[in-house]
Amino acid sequence: MSEPIVIENLTKYYNKFLALDNLSLRIPEKENVGLLGPNGAGKSTTLKILCGLLRASSGTAYIDGVSVAEKPEQALSRIGAIVETPEFYSFLTPEENLGYLGRLRGMRGDELKSRIKEVIKLVSLQDWNKVKVEKFSRGMKQRLALAQTLLHDPPVLILDEPALGLDPRGVVEFRQIIEGAGKNKTVFFASHQLVEVHQICTQVAIIDHGRLLAYDSIAALEKKYQSLELAYLKLTETPIE
Amino acid sequence: MSKFEKLRIVTGYEFLKHIRRARLYIILGLTLIAEMAVLILVPVLGDGFPDNVMVMAALLSIGPSLATIGAIFFAGDAIAGEFESKTGFILFTNPVGRTTLVIGKYLACFAAVALLVILGYVIVSISLLAIYGNVPIETLSSFGLCLLYTGSVVSVTFFFSSISKGAMAATVITLVFIMVITGIIDSILMMTGQPHWFLLSTNGDTIATVFGGYELFMGGFGGAGGMMPFEMESPNIGLSVLSMAIYLVVGFVSSIWITKRRQLA
Repeated sequence: MSEPIVIENLTKYYNKFLALDNLSLRIPEKENVGLLGPNGAGKSTTLKILCGLLRASSGTAYIDGVSVAEKPEQALSRIGAIVETPEFYSFLTPEENLGYLGRLRGMRGDELKSRIKEVIKLVSLQDWNKVKVEKFSRGMKQRLALAQTLLHDPPVLILDEPALGLDPRGVVEFRQIIEGAGKNKTVFFASHQLVEVHQICTQVAIIDHGRLLAYDSIAALEKKYQSLELAYLKLTETPIE
Repeated sequence: MSKFEKLRIVTGYEFLKHIRRARLYIILGLTLIAEMAVLILVPVLGDGFPDNVMVMAALLSIGPSLATIGAIFFAGDAIAGEFESKTGFILFTNPVGRTTLVIGKYLACFAAVALLVILGYVIVSISLLAIYGNVPIETLSSFGLCLLYTGSVVSVTFFFSSISKGAMAATVITLVFIMVITGIIDSILMMTGQPHWFLLSTNGDTIATVFGGYELFMGGFGGAGGMMPFEMESPNIGLSVLSMAIYLVVGFVSSIWITKRRQLA
């Protein structure tokens, strides 16, 4: 399988509640793909299974051909992820938090130090580098989360509402960072913000009730439905039995 | 990168967490207060220090024992905290196995408490040397038993932390289990003459009774023979070591097994 992210017949039950219903998706290399859907559609569940935080009831998720369930460490070494509202170790500074995470990924010495400086500057946290995270606002933690996602320069980015909590300037900066950094990466991200998805992504997958409703280029969806917004509204309006 | 290297990194940062948190210094303070209380109140209220160095040694061992109970406060949030505070969303998406994480957290927690225990026994040794001019060899055994007790308390706490939704719940459940439940069962079994070597509270008593058993305490302050309505048999050291080892292994292994299977929804 050549695609960096492959989801095959993924099903997930939370007790009796069916969150994902035989979802299959292949994300091409170096593409930015958005995952859209209403609340409770299964977006976060999909991303959490890809990140090894949840186990699928059936089906398989692969990162670069490696099954996340069978070889999680190997699969996770290929990704940078933001899932949910990120929390860092409050007793550590951003530098120390990133140092911990970078070292767990095999980064060392001067390479790690310079890379930490680089990503902290990228997310505009350089003035807060030596301050313990316990003093950070939600938006600042979101920026730090983006920094840790890019720290080890992974080929795959998995992002769940990455701009949540950011101020308008932060949202613009985030978009610019992803557009820049995502040029040579495969980006798969879930969002409610259609404008953001439209600006960053070339393709979208729309899901609801755990099922894939559409997976196409934004251009093709706009041609069919006149706009991405109408495509989303039309596809998600019918209740699924 | 080898698992051992990752283990080293996890242990280092977890230990840093303990060093930077106030609770380490609170437990340290309580340990010192306990030792000072024994050193000051025993001679004041008891008309001088006991004649027998073993009695004083057993009394002074209360300080390190307190540190061991303090381990519950270190270990309670070790696993539950990652789920409750959602730092797991950052940590678990890194290429480090949960087994490595749990082992690293355990080693860091044990090391932090062991430091307090060591400090406690340094105070015990210096105090005995100053008062009696010698330190009984049993102090070394008491130290070893205290470390083993620490390991088993941390393991039991890790078990409860792995199954609890939050750190507070894990801490409280462990405290209730060790201090209340096993203590009550211990008393009942002791009063009814039944074996109770397998209870963690009994095992903890060996830290002091290694100096001479319960009879030492009864006779050490002028005798209290005949006061108890039942025979108090001192815990068997060998069986207590076995029991603590079982708690350590079972608690530790089960906490790893549960944490590996726990999902972060």
